[in-house]
Amino acid sequence: MTQHHPDSLTLMEYSAGNLTEPHALCIRLHLDQCPHCCSRVDTLDSLGAVMMEQQPKVDVSESMFDRILSRIDSFDDNDRELVIRNSVRPSPLHKLLGDDLNSLPWKRQLGDVSVLDISERFPGQQEQVVLQKLAAGGKAPVHTHRGEETTIVLQGAFADQKGVFNQWDFVVLNEQDEHKPVAVGCEDCITLSVLSAPVRLTGTFTRLLNPFIR
Amino acid sequence: MTTLDQKPARAEGRKDPWSQLLEKVGKHQDRQAYHALFEHFGPQIKYYAMANGMASHAEELVQEVFVSIWRRSCLYDWRKAAASTWIFTIARNQRIDMLRKMKRTSVEMLVETEDLWQIPGDNEDEPVTSLHRLMSERRIRESLSHLPEEQTTVIAKVYMENKSHQMVANELNIPLGTVKSRVRLALNKLKVILQDQNV
Repeated sequence: MTQHHPDSLTLMEYSAGNLTEPHALCIRLHLDQCPHCCSRVDTLDSLGAVMMEQQPKVDVSESMFDRILSRIDSFDDNDRELVIRNSVRPSPLHKLLGDDLNSLPWKRQLGDVSVLDISERFPGQQEQVVLQKLAAGGKAPVHTHRGEETTIVLQGAFADQKGVFNQWDFVVLNEQDEHKPVAVGCEDCITLSVLSAPVRLTGTFTRLLNPFIR
Repeated sequence: MTTLDQKPARAEGRKDPWSQLLEKVGKHQDRQAYHALFEHFGPQIKYYAMANGMASHAEELVQEVFVSIWRRSCLYDWRKAAASTWIFTIARNQRIDMLRKMKRTSVEMLVETEDLWQIPGDNEDEPVTSLHRLMSERRIRESLSHLPEEQTTVIAKVYMENKSHQMVANELNIPLGTVKSRVRLALNKLKVILQDQNV
């Protein structure tokens, strides 16, 4: 059971469809494992429906309905089967990264930290999307964040002064958050982070280490 | 969809008329029911498209949403969501989809819109209490009518105009913190925040 959840305002932006794809991915991965947040999103989706119902209406023509009818005439039982088959979707994580996170082409940064920049898998997005791996028992250098960094834990767990973050936990860090994460447990800790701006190191020797540093 | 046939008898009476119509479309490809849904939701969706800056594609969006409603209606389960909520999520996803397709014509979309934004009832195994969901929609409608206008204005901009909290702040010329506190106050009354505290 996850302990760290997205806040209601972020879930509202998600429900409204206003988040970028990488941010929506972080929320989606959390929702897949968190019935509590799913139920909040259900409520927010209903809020969207009620908002839409209470706005002005704009006339639609009967001829538009005829055009729709002519399109649906082309669908048959095969299409129905296709729709049913497609409704069971594999995890977007699997689509993006395959089924073995450990065997990705990780780039060793410094000491215990490896990274993989996957920004190019979200064409047209401004944010940097980075996977980070902290070796089991390993420590990352002290760093702060410029702008906002949204992170979801994909494997293992890490701890900092704010607590322990387990698989599917969700955390947002910004300028005020200086932390020094440590991978806990016997597995490497892998996180997915969306960075709205580069990260700044507060230690002296860690210039090489980025996404913590970029 | 076998689940549709296992209705709890007591809750049957709570199914709203739009959900009954949508179910008829899903089960019997009922075109009369489909037309009634079009007359009710079509004008809402057209407004939605125009409010969020897709005026020149408004009719196209309405068409895409209704084609999608027809195709997906076999998956609709009234116990998972009221028809209006289900249709809102389809409209939202079709809008995102259209914008994505306009933005990049040739690049393959590795992750599809519905991988990121789910339609209620898809890929969902856990049992749900229909009563809870239907109550929640009715509660929202009631609570909304008691909210101060400054709060509903902000929520409308987020949902209908698809503006981020920051963009709403810029437009209304008020600090971001004020926008966020208005949303929090509203969500508090709608019991979304309250659920935060139970975490």
